[in-house]
Amino acid sequence: MRLLQVSLRSLLLYSIVLLLISIPVSWISVQAMLNDEVDESISRQSEQFLRHIKNFEYLDDLETDLEVIDQLSYNIHIKPSKAATQEKIYQTIIQYDSLERSQRPFRQLSTSVVVKGKPYLLTIEMSLVDNNDLVMAIGLVQVALSVVLVAGLLYLNRSLSKRLWKPFYKTLDQLKAYDLDKSESVAIEKSDITEFDDLNKTVSHLTERNRKVFLNQKEFIENASHELQTPIAIFQSKLDHLMQSSGLSQSEAETILELETTAQRMSRLNKNLLLLSKIDNEQFLDKEEIDLSILIQNQLSVLKPVANVQSMKINTSIDPLLIKANRTLIEVLFSNIFQNAIRHNLKGEDVSITLRDKTLAVTNKGKALKMNVEKMTGRFSKESTDPNSTGLGLAIVKKICDSCGFHLGYKYDNSLHTFEITF
Amino acid sequence: MKILIIEDEIQLVKSVALALREEGYVCEFAFTAAEADEKILLFDYDCILLDINLPDGNGLKILETIKNNHKTDGVIIITARNSLDDKVFGLNLGADDYLSKPFFMPELIARVSAIIRRKRFEGNNRISFHEISLDLLGKAAIVHDKEVDLTRMEYSLLLFLLANKNRVVSKNAIAEHLSGDNAELLDKFDFIYSHMKNLKRKLTEAGSNDYIKTIYGLGYKFSA
Repeated sequence: MRLLQVSLRSLLLYSIVLLLISIPVSWISVQAMLNDEVDESISRQSEQFLRHIKNFEYLDDLETDLEVIDQLSYNIHIKPSKAATQEKIYQTIIQYDSLERSQRPFRQLSTSVVVKGKPYLLTIEMSLVDNNDLVMAIGLVQVALSVVLVAGLLYLNRSLSKRLWKPFYKTLDQLKAYDLDKSESVAIEKSDITEFDDLNKTVSHLTERNRKVFLNQKEFIENASHELQTPIAIFQSKLDHLMQSSGLSQSEAETILELETTAQRMSRLNKNLLLLSKIDNEQFLDKEEIDLSILIQNQLSVLKPVANVQSMKINTSIDPLLIKANRTLIEVLFSNIFQNAIRHNLKGEDVSITLRDKTLAVTNKGKALKMNVEKMTGRFSKESTDPNSTGLGLAIVKKICDSCGFHLGYKYDNSLHTFEITF
Repeated sequence: MKILIIEDEIQLVKSVALALREEGYVCEFAFTAAEADEKILLFDYDCILLDINLPDGNGLKILETIKNNHKTDGVIIITARNSLDDKVFGLNLGADDYLSKPFFMPELIARVSAIIRRKRFEGNNRISFHEISLDLLGKAAIVHDKEVDLTRMEYSLLLFLLANKNRVVSKNAIAEHLSGDNAELLDKFDFIYSHMKNLKRKLTEAGSNDYIKTIYGLGYKFSA
């Protein structure tokens, strides 16, 4: 889950809970407040009414008047009752409203009064319809406000954090795209926020240091390989001198040849390491149109005699294919992948090379390998004990494929190893 | 025939000079670029072996000096930098050949003799050894004035041996010469043996003496 979503989620949850609680609470409290107001108002009315009655107690036919009032008045009712209680009772009732001609809620105060020694029950009512409308309106406004609030919060949070975290995501993207092999360093943008600025500085410092170490290492490999070539040349030339001496015993002669073979192996290792460094250093940049089929045929004309000696046949099925690439790299790529197939092929079996649909497939027969492709294309990884194998051939193939943007695939099926390069 | 070796590694110079002298060449050395410049201006050489990496300068500069002074010396660039750029650049500047370190001595000798042949015997594209001669243009071998039908491999094998006559040539050097980088792939001894056997047979069938001697455990020697 993204950081933005986490903060947004908690914020949203809090807003919704608050909203759910606040709406009924405010509804109830507003209603209670209004009821209080109404109660106070009808209680004052009843007091006033009773005061007026007291003023008219000298009238003889007050009883009849009260009856008339009861009949005429819309919201005041006074009726003779049996027992006199002093309690005031407030309640909300639903009854027929003669004005509105429908059932309506009313707030009612009922209390006992004594007029001329006789007990009466006085009830005063007040319609609650207007108040209910008010509560409803207030509730609606509140809901609307809350919705606007939540939406505003969401939007603000979203846009703000997006802007705030932008430098962070930018750095992250750059780190994702960062490749030690490529020469350019990470270009970090300056940020106004201290934490991000710190992070960016640390990141660029770290990547820069990594790059320097990597470059040093690469340079070391290149220099070491170069510097070794001259001593090997001297070694080889001295061996040649030794060979010319007469009267060598056969075992001496064999030793000299073995030494020469070993020197050759060293030199080959060096050359391959140098080649890898050069591909890393992007020293093969010139591109030209190459017909791969012609190039393959050229290489095969050299390889076929070699394969024939080991009674190995090379079957080919090659369609013309034009690509734009560096000629040297492609030549090295092909010679390495062909050599690999021939080297690891079982004696007397065939090697097949097909170029079709932009894909070159090279197949040879052999036992299943313990290592996976990743390992196979690493440097100095080999399972064969062939001293002539440097363990760098497939590493070179992989490196060239990577640098040219070709896809290298491998499969093992029915004791056939197949490497596929898609151009 | 005079050869100048421009190379700062004394041990390598010693061995190369020794081998070339055995082949009858006169060798001089220059260990620095300054020395080399001086010698090139003062003397003429048939062939110059030029190391590109010298302590006091780039060998390609020396090559420019040679060409600017209209010297006709053949130049073989020798370098530990097996770099294509240097190779292309050097050949464009007018070097005749390019050899990367380490190299096999027979290979160097073959290249030197090829250059000297080209420079010295213009028009004469034949090398002969007793009854055997090679037509370099037609890439054909002739024994007793009759052409021997050789494969491409056998022809280059014979040429290589002839250039290194009276020297022991190791199987490694032969394999490298015949198949370059692919040499590591093969069982070189089988490979060379089969070609050598065919070559010997064809030459003797054409009436030539058997000049190719097997040096057990090492290689071959072409000598009368």
